[in-house]
Amino acid sequence: MRTIFRALGPLAACLALAACATVTSAPAGAMKVGDAYEVALGREWSDISNIMNGRTKKVRLLSIDGPLLNRLYLSDGLEPGEYLIKPAAKETPTPVIRKDMSASERLEFVADSVVALEYQRVQLVRPRPAKLGQGNGVRFDLTAQTKSGLDVKGTGVISEQGGKTYVLLYLAPAEHYFDANLAEVEAILGSARLG
Amino acid sequence: MRTSALALAAVLAAMPAAAQERAAGLRPNATSAEAGFWAVMDKAEAEAKTRADLNTDPALNAYVRGVMCKAAAAHCPDLRVYVMDRPFMNASMAPNGYSEVWSGLLLRANDEAELAYVLGHEVSHFTESHTIEAHRAQKTRANVVLAATVVVAVAGAASAASAGTASEAQSIMDATGNTIDLIYYAQMASFFRFSREQEGEADLLGQRKLAEAGYDPAAAAESWRGLTAETKGSDFKRVRESETRISVFSSHPLGAQRIAALETQAGTLTAGGDRGRDRHRAAIRPHLGAWLRDDLRKRDFGQTLVVIDRLAADGEDLGVLNYYRGEAYRMRRGDGDLAKARDAYLAAAAQPDAPVAVWRELGDIRRRDGDLAGARTAYDNYLAKAPQAEDAWLVQDSLSSLDQGK
Ligand SMILES: [Zn+2]
Repeated sequence: MRTIFRALGPLAACLALAACATVTSAPAGAMKVGDAYEVALGREWSDISNIMNGRTKKVRLLSIDGPLLNRLYLSDGLEPGEYLIKPAAKETPTPVIRKDMSASERLEFVADSVVALEYQRVQLVRPRPAKLGQGNGVRFDLTAQTKSGLDVKGTGVISEQGGKTYVLLYLAPAEHYFDANLAEVEAILGSARLG
Repeated sequence: MRTSALALAAVLAAMPAAAQERAAGLRPNATSAEAGFWAVMDKAEAEAKTRADLNTDPALNAYVRGVMCKAAAAHCPDLRVYVMDRPFMNASMAPNGYSEVWSGLLLRANDEAELAYVLGHEVSHFTESHTIEAHRAQKTRANVVLAATVVVAVAGAASAASAGTASEAQSIMDATGNTIDLIYYAQMASFFRFSREQEGEADLLGQRKLAEAGYDPAAAAESWRGLTAETKGSDFKRVRESETRISVFSSHPLGAQRIAALETQAGTLTAGGDRGRDRHRAAIRPHLGAWLRDDLRKRDFGQTLVVIDRLAADGEDLGVLNYYRGEAYRMRRGDGDLAKARDAYLAAAAQPDAPVAVWRELGDIRRRDGDLAGARTAYDNYLAKAPQAEDAWLVQDSLSSLDQGK
């Protein structure tokens, strides 16, 4: 029973304060991800960062049709010890940024963070050179499944610049939704301006 | 009423083996409470078949089903077993004969006899109708279905609360029957929870089934002891200090008295018998890498290292096992861990079954150590062994940066 009460805690708090439904608009045009990091949105998205479970200050989460149908994670520069997905408890850690990560550890960071979101059969594929702003990064694609067996696709970039790690990650069901917004996501990725 | 329940409890406590075993092939009367449990679990079983983590390797499934049948004997045709790729030590048995065996259990069983013991324990819950016994208050099919619906609804709400967003929560609430996650499992497990006495009874009956099937009864206590060692190896103080549970969902701790009871009973059974260590390893070998990766993703590296030590004890699969040992140390990055990772990768590299990634990791670790010549050799090896690897260009980049003295 303890499990139920612990899990219901946040929901109960939300209902009481009516504070958990603060989805805001992210209109087409420039969007600041951090102090020195900006992307251009080609259309209106919803900023659902505030209702994200375990949200961290440096990660923005955008969606068009709801998080099960498309989600775009945009992280400001993550420093050593920081994560994309906040752990629910000390005993269930999620991947963290290290100060001496190798290129393959950065890709592992992305794949294992998607696992921490409880996707199954996560495979990071086709790593390739890319730019994020002026800096070098690695572009990747990703395949996974939801727990109930729905195929999911992803794409994104991870880039270390000046000791900080920037992640842009798009996830959507393979059928229809992934392709429907891929061009928009590619454009956002190409629009990144850092520093 | 009260007297007879007490009397029955006394009988059960005094002579656990004398409890009425259900007849093989028995199906419940349609209006009975038992039929209610069957209806609920038939639905859960239908969902299990569509899940992403269902393991569909025919050879592995045939192996697990074969061991289950040896333990279940005449009840074999009543049972259906599904192998799920989930990195937790868990097996379950529903009252309709739907059983799950998780990869975390297959990875942790030392041999076929240990697996047969755990399955014998689960089979005993079925043959003794423990679910019905635990829910005597439920008199009809309708009562059971209603009770289960409430449990699943609460589990659904709990899942929703842990969802990423309010709208995801709404989607989960709407998708009744799709609340398949650990909270859901925990709630279902608590609905189908057995009493401490039933667990003790299943232990002893499981061990007898083990011996009757020709296995070594000593495997019973050994399988539980291995689990205790893993808890003690955790990276987290709170886990190390907690009592070992047979599965993440088990409400009853694995106390020393349960292990002692198995050791006592072993003395009354035919000693020796089959262990089937080679058969077990052959069945799980194709999955070792994927399952160890899943285990590492739980990020309790101390526990994974205990599991790897046990798998490596007889000197088999040392290329794969030392690679994942290196991965555990590399990912944990505690004091001295990178040196241990390097040594493990080196040990792996000397084995014929070493995954090619060993050389990439060895290159990265030597580069960190400032051993540039060693790094170059390792990267060259990786590129020679895996010229077509998707990340060959990344390793080539690392190699070039060494040459530029970066
Ligand atoms: Zn049990």
